[in-house]
Amino acid sequence: MAIRLQRLPSASPGIALAARAIAILFALITAGLLLAASGAQPLKLALQVLRSTFGSGFGLEDVGLLVTPLILTGLSVAVALRIGAWNIGAEGQFYAGAFAATGVALFVPGPTIVMLPLMFLAGAIGGLIWILVPTLARAYADVSELITTLLLNFVATLLVYYVATGPWLDPGGHALGTTARLKHDVPEFIGMVHWGFPIAILVAVITAAAFSFTRWGYEVRIAGSNPQAAKYAGMPFRRHLIVVMLLSGAIAGIAGMPEVAGTVHRLQGGISNNFGYLGIMVAVLARGSCIGVIAGAALMAVILNSGIILQTQGVNTSTVLAITGLILFFTAVGDELAHFRIVSSKPAEA
Amino acid sequence: MDLIVGILHTSLLAGGVLALAALGEVLAERVGVVNLGVEGLMALGAITGIAAVVTTKSPTAGFALALAVGLLVGMVFAAITVYLRANQVLCGLALTLMGTGFAATVGKAYSGIPAPATFTGVEIPYLSSIPLIGQVLFTQNVLVYLIYIILPVMLHVLMFRTRHGLNLRAVGENPAAADAAGIAVQRIRFWYVTAGAALAAGAGAYLTLAFVPSWSEGVVAGRGWIAVALVIFAGYRPLNAVLAALLFGVITSLGFVGQARNWPIAAPVLSMLPYLGTIAFIVVPVVAWHRMRQVMAAPAALGVPYYRDLR
Repeated sequence: MAIRLQRLPSASPGIALAARAIAILFALITAGLLLAASGAQPLKLALQVLRSTFGSGFGLEDVGLLVTPLILTGLSVAVALRIGAWNIGAEGQFYAGAFAATGVALFVPGPTIVMLPLMFLAGAIGGLIWILVPTLARAYADVSELITTLLLNFVATLLVYYVATGPWLDPGGHALGTTARLKHDVPEFIGMVHWGFPIAILVAVITAAAFSFTRWGYEVRIAGSNPQAAKYAGMPFRRHLIVVMLLSGAIAGIAGMPEVAGTVHRLQGGISNNFGYLGIMVAVLARGSCIGVIAGAALMAVILNSGIILQTQGVNTSTVLAITGLILFFTAVGDELAHFRIVSSKPAEA
Repeated sequence: MDLIVGILHTSLLAGGVLALAALGEVLAERVGVVNLGVEGLMALGAITGIAAVVTTKSPTAGFALALAVGLLVGMVFAAITVYLRANQVLCGLALTLMGTGFAATVGKAYSGIPAPATFTGVEIPYLSSIPLIGQVLFTQNVLVYLIYIILPVMLHVLMFRTRHGLNLRAVGENPAAADAAGIAVQRIRFWYVTAGAALAAGAGAYLTLAFVPSWSEGVVAGRGWIAVALVIFAGYRPLNAVLAALLFGVITSLGFVGQARNWPIAAPVLSMLPYLGTIAFIVVPVVAWHRMRQVMAAPAALGVPYYRDLR
């Protein structure tokens, strides 16, 4: 009897899902051990987090506010992944969307009922413009979109910081480094959670439906899994790539709009809270599924909210970033391990 | 004239960070592994460097310790991506998040403390008194000479003038053929990825021990990503990578000069220059000269894990 490992070309969905769950558990245990090593009491902290998050309506409302942008940035990354493109620039597109929506709110007069859809549209266009150059460079010159989208994050962050501390600085002077309070608010949905939340879910459902039930969605999925086969079958790979990447940018831009008009109400530097980078996590956790993104975003929102709660306990936000890195790392490892199975074989008898 | 000397001097100093990190990434990518964890490794190197120099007062010890940390983390990354063959993009992003987050957590205690000892400029006798060039080239710190001359020339000779270099490039171009020729594909990948990670961490230490020189959260500021982009621009060649980094040093130092001299451009806008410049440099050449795409192409097996049984 010999026992050996055998690698399967594709892991079965059940084992893959289990590998995910185990990976997240391992990451949290590792994070707990590291926190314990630095003198904190991880179990006490964990209890505190659970009580503050699920013990009251306020905790859940906080999670609801965080989950809204995460659904959209996660969806943005997941959509691009469908055609095999890495949009690491959701962070920048988020800023560009928030910037465009704020610009419209500050400088275009009009009643709120007209302005909110207009700001929504501005957000989408802002995100779309922000991914335009990386998209065309990838489609026509085969320049890695991974790096171009990422570098534009820094530019967008600086742009928002610049306008919020310079030209668009609150003329009332009530707050440092932010624009004036926007006159138009996204109305509340349940408690503090605004209408951005159901809209984000709606966007995810529509996108999922477009991928599952339209000819376009079918062709994009084929093009993503095998570009050569898609080209051979006469599908316009380049056109699909451009449309999908622009869509990805627009969705990340949309995420910026409710954040600025519903949650923060002012444009300021650092408004994104790393939502764009966490969107990569969300998409990976969701295995690129548009509906799965909602679950992934919920998990990330709880983790992010834990970070905010833990800040009052002396654990800082960068620790949370490190923990998300751990989760991503263990997930990548778990994904690969899910491909292996143990087989025992009797040696052939002579 | 003083202004030009100042700009060029700062350019060399600023470019050194990118050059060292880019050389590390050249090593990893030449053997077929994309390491997107450079940003995180630089953060780890930067905090290790400052923590060590605060304790030991020796910048050399700080730099060496940063290299050692990079080596250890690089071994983990290489083991996971080369032997376990986990997704390189995900592992790299995870390394960046972990490194940045961990360094920022540990770094709270060191924030804002200037490095008590740094790599200071060494005036080379006679040469440094050459007008203009002397002040620019021969009053730099030890690391600058290491990064711009010794290391790239060594790597260039190793890669393009030795049999071992031919083997390592073969591993990045066609691992199956290399394997068939008896080259230990996984072992070569493992060690070059590890060495590349050590250099990236070293670049972080250069940042806090020679360039800035102090720690603050976000001190790396995307330089790791710029280094990854430079490798593409440099066509995966060590000498080109160093020249490209120098070009970026010039852009960065122009930004500094602009801020210092109160040019009528806002500081955040000047800070955008390196990022916009990087994008322009990787997009424009391939659009303008189609032939560049073949000459400067990436190693054919870049990012693809090697399975012997799927050959």
